[in-house]
Amino acid sequence: MPLKRYKKYVSLLMFTAPAFLLYAVFLLIPTLGGMFYSFTDWNGLNKSYHFVGFANFAEALGEDSDFVHSLWFTLKYVVFMVVLQNAIALLLAVLIETRTRSKGFFRTVFFMPNMISIIISSFMWTFVFTQVLPQIAEKTALAFLDQSWIGNPSVSFYSILIVSLWNGVGYMLIIYLAALQGVPQHLKEAAVIDGASPFQRFLHVTVPMITHAITICFFLTLNGAFKVFEVVYGLTGGGPGRSTQVITLNIYEEAFSNNFRYGYASAKSVILFVMILIITFIQISVMKKREVEA
Amino acid sequence: MKKSWKSVLATVLAAALLAGCGANGGNSGGADSEAAASGSGGSGEAKNVTLKVFIGAPRFKEHFDKFIADFAAKEKAEKNINVSVQLEMPNPDNASQILKTRLASNDAPDIFALHAVNEIPSFYKAGYLEDLSDQPFVGKLLDSVKPSVTIDGKVVAVPLETLSWGYLYNKKIFADLVLTPPQTLTEMKAVVEKLKANNITPFLLSYKEAWIPQLFLPLAVGAIVNTENPDFIERMNKNEGSFSEMKAMFDIIDLVNANGTDKALEVGGDDGAAAFANGKAAMWVQGPWYAETILSANPDFEFGVAPLPINDNPDATMINLSTSTSLAVSPASKNKEVALDFINYVLDDKASNAFYQALKFNPVAKVHTFETYPWVNDAMAYVKEGKAYQDPSMPQSVKDEVGKGLQAYFAGQIGQDDVLSALDKAWKAFNKVNK
Repeated sequence: MPLKRYKKYVSLLMFTAPAFLLYAVFLLIPTLGGMFYSFTDWNGLNKSYHFVGFANFAEALGEDSDFVHSLWFTLKYVVFMVVLQNAIALLLAVLIETRTRSKGFFRTVFFMPNMISIIISSFMWTFVFTQVLPQIAEKTALAFLDQSWIGNPSVSFYSILIVSLWNGVGYMLIIYLAALQGVPQHLKEAAVIDGASPFQRFLHVTVPMITHAITICFFLTLNGAFKVFEVVYGLTGGGPGRSTQVITLNIYEEAFSNNFRYGYASAKSVILFVMILIITFIQISVMKKREVEA
Repeated sequence: MKKSWKSVLATVLAAALLAGCGANGGNSGGADSEAAASGSGGSGEAKNVTLKVFIGAPRFKEHFDKFIADFAAKEKAEKNINVSVQLEMPNPDNASQILKTRLASNDAPDIFALHAVNEIPSFYKAGYLEDLSDQPFVGKLLDSVKPSVTIDGKVVAVPLETLSWGYLYNKKIFADLVLTPPQTLTEMKAVVEKLKANNITPFLLSYKEAWIPQLFLPLAVGAIVNTENPDFIERMNKNEGSFSEMKAMFDIIDLVNANGTDKALEVGGDDGAAAFANGKAAMWVQGPWYAETILSANPDFEFGVAPLPINDNPDATMINLSTSTSLAVSPASKNKEVALDFINYVLDDKASNAFYQALKFNPVAKVHTFETYPWVNDAMAYVKEGKAYQDPSMPQSVKDEVGKGLQAYFAGQIGQDDVLSALDKAWKAFNKVNK
């Protein structure tokens, strides 16, 4: 018997070895390296560097007002994204689920933007925001379209949201669709017989039955929203000034322009990592409890 | 059945993994064997040298390939050395990144390109630049270019691309309205008024990319440092100065911002070049490095380069001279002799002229006698009158900061003092990090 168990582990190890090797070389080791550098003042060029303990972390959270601003801006973005992305995706999924023949068509249409790389879609939207919308506003009477969509800091937050949602909703939609199709028919019918209204049916039958999908989608959106980079980089570049700068952009700037403070930028990355870790951990543990089995 | 699937899958995975490794190995192996093959092609006693050259400008690949082939022929003829050059030309966006990684991992290329004004100080400090002061090419450099590749009295790089700039103006609009480039701020205001009276927008604004509003800083600081405040940069480096001394720069910035095109924060450099080429505005605070983009938008367009007036002292209205791409030699190079030969060949009496002309660079040495572009001549006319200064050496972080600051200032989010104090802070941070 022990021999068989041993064999099982060997085959398991052999199957995961290629993936794990690549994962270790390209992700695990660099990550640990980054954590190591976060305690130094390395500038990415010098051969020598010094250990500075937690000074980088203290500076990032204490003195660096730009970093703190980008932190709050990212949190605001995360809240909007998590709520809107899931709400819209779920709504669309429910609506598509009511269709019979055109289901495939709508599914494809809404998923399509997800297949375009985010950086390309943000460049596309830059064109839409700066050229197309003002033109439409000029030709029609829709004056509100003639905004400074990416130049005005209070409007550009919503421009960033629009592009992120346009790009990101499709993926969540597919997950929700799959979950909706897994809701047992007999429970719905039982609810109909008990005289539940469509809204009640949705709230008390469908939602509990798709909680596992909601957990996954919240996890994905939360994670993705914290790490947002391309959309902001492509649309506003964090500008004007630093008004739409997200954490990742702040880190990028710290490491690759400014004073090339790699160590300091690594410390900021570690802060971001810990933040995502804690928040997603809480989210998962809270939502896991609410999942039910049919 | 299940078992056979497993083995098939395992085989496929293993094959894929091997193929991946194989592809990588094949690439580097190919380069090596190629170098070896071309080396062994020469005569028996000839020395074989492989020179690694790193230049982050793929758009010049053809020119460099040809130039390197000429160089190899010359080395073979004169010194009987078979030189094979491994030319690495990554994308300019991440070239500097790759170069730093290579230097930090002791895998330095023999010759590499770097930005003279921005990168020489930090590279020099880290000990990655060979002292080239006693090389023959140094004597050929123009006096106006030499300071930009000199640090601590040592010449450390050979300049390739140099820039002389201020702002661009539309020659046709200026000729139609009988205007000449203004020499003082008051004259500039008169020009602006006259343009407005003729329904022409005076300035093109393109502030989407932070580096464009940033251009005001080198122009203003350069002019002020070279007239009334000569020790500003030194004092800033010692934490003794403050940008409040430079508050006068907002005179010209406000003038430009108040008389510019709409939606400035949505227009990037390329869009701006197209708009300028199509006569949307008479002037653009920008350098002639956009010449190619401007001319591709409108091939018949005529523009000139003029110095930007920042106050009412006509002597402060000067052209900014700067050097960007330059070639340096690594002190760790194993083939230093050949590397130095190459560096000198860049300014060779015979070969250099055609090379710089083909690259469309400005003349940097006495051996360059080719005909230059009209806008270069415009700028050179000022330079010859002595109305030019070296691009002031400011930390990159300060330049980044001013770009963002002026964007926010334009958007009305912050005031002049906020911009200036942010600059002070950025410079202090630079001093702290680089002490």
